[in-house]
Amino acid sequence: MPQSTCSNANPTALEWRESEPESQCEACGSAALEGVRVPAILSALKRHETLLAEIERISSTGGFCWHAATGRMTCTEEVYRIFELEATVPVTLQLMGTRIHPEDLPLLDDMRERASAQASGFEYQLRLCTETVKYLQLSARRSEAADNDPLYIGAIQDVTRRRLSEEALGKVRCELTRLARVSSLGALTASIAHEVNQPLTGIMTNASTCLEMLGTDPPDLYGARETARRTIRDTERACEVIARLRALFGKWGGKTESVDLNAAAREVIALSLTELHRRRVMLCTELTEDLPLVTGDRVQLQQVILNLLLNAVEAMSAVEDRPRHLVVRTELDATDRACLSVQDTGVGFDPQEAQRLFEAFYTTKSGGMGIGLSVSQSIVESHDGRLWAELNTGPGATFAFSVPVRGNECRTHSPGRAHTLADSGQIMRGG
Amino acid sequence: MADAMLVTIVDDDESVRESVPELVRKFGFRVRAFTSAHEFLASDCVDETKCLILDVAMPGMSGPDLQRELASRGQRIPIIFLTGQRDPDLRRQLLADGAAECLFKPFSAAALREALNSALGVI
Repeated sequence: MPQSTCSNANPTALEWRESEPESQCEACGSAALEGVRVPAILSALKRHETLLAEIERISSTGGFCWHAATGRMTCTEEVYRIFELEATVPVTLQLMGTRIHPEDLPLLDDMRERASAQASGFEYQLRLCTETVKYLQLSARRSEAADNDPLYIGAIQDVTRRRLSEEALGKVRCELTRLARVSSLGALTASIAHEVNQPLTGIMTNASTCLEMLGTDPPDLYGARETARRTIRDTERACEVIARLRALFGKWGGKTESVDLNAAAREVIALSLTELHRRRVMLCTELTEDLPLVTGDRVQLQQVILNLLLNAVEAMSAVEDRPRHLVVRTELDATDRACLSVQDTGVGFDPQEAQRLFEAFYTTKSGGMGIGLSVSQSIVESHDGRLWAELNTGPGATFAFSVPVRGNECRTHSPGRAHTLADSGQIMRGG
Repeated sequence: MADAMLVTIVDDDESVRESVPELVRKFGFRVRAFTSAHEFLASDCVDETKCLILDVAMPGMSGPDLQRELASRGQRIPIIFLTGQRDPDLRRQLLADGAAECLFKPFSAAALREALNSALGVI
């Protein structure tokens, strides 16, 4: 950034549009420039101006100075362009407010409040209701120069394009997640059919027995009553299976609740049990009692557990020379995060390919699409967690994820939320 | 009933283990039920069993595993398989390996009776 020769607090190399149009830089008088060719300086300044204006345009970023006490504001051309304001109008917070999305207006009040409390800086994400909706990122810092009338120097960036591509990315991710669910549902079809057919067998057989008992002479009323009772119990069992299925594959998304990872794991295991038996997998669960609850979307987290489980089963499908052991473990890790791991005795993975395991469409399975782990990772990350894989000392691999327990979670970034620049200069996330 | 033939049921599922023996008993057979193949092999009724009603998918030793084990011991017990998977290929394979019948769960009482009669040759 070219340094200004002016003593004025405004960085004059930028073409500031003053809300007091006649405001001038007094140092730019004759004395300071004595002996120097004024046209040369002016043309150099002009070049800088053009250059900076070009940079502003390219980066969609405008600059502003704001005297919080008097409300006086100066800003660069790009701010006018972003807010779609007439070039001749002096900019004020009030005028900006006429363009800002009504839901985001309280953020301007928040900004005034912070400034009057002499905050060292602030950061906001705002939406503009111009011809199309624009997304802005506004950040500012207090300049050390002023005391009674704190001066804030800041930048406003039009991040609409980034936002839109993030949204598009989010949609693609959502689709992938849906696809992963459908494919894991497919993998469980046999297991689910088995789970439902067991109680149906009970119902059908009990009803037949009941008829047989009533058909004898004299009818076996006691026996008939017993079998009828068993019919009801088996029906309840069938309903439980359906309820578990609905919980795992039903509506989901964006629901935040307290989740017991142990209970979530148990439900997934219950649905997968037949699949595990069918694939000759010996399951061992080591669920830590009193594991603190985590905050998140239960169905999504169960999807991750299911993906890890199916992955482990798949990794062991070719193993014939050793037991197919599966250990599902929950524990509180050293950093007080709830951790769930799935350990198998399968074929493991090539350490050189470890980085690629979580890439979408990377797969070593003939029937797999390679989206399970990638989707799992994006789900875990949206829970502020981490998903990783490591090779066991013995055969096989362990896939695990950890998420913060309730009360320890750090809130995720969301639009329209105010951020304050703390005195240390670090951005504190909160809202 | 003392002379009635013994039919043994091996299934890890409780609903099946409770309901099927009751019905088979109504058909006039003596019945024993076991939760696993190992439990059955360790029991005293392997020799006495005239027909085995056997679940396909069980933890540990599966139904087909038990079928092979019995064959290797020279025990020729007619087997009626029960399976929750509606898989015609699996059924074909089990019949080819010597099973008397393979019923998809849920099955009717008539189908089970017919399977038992044909397995035991008591039509």
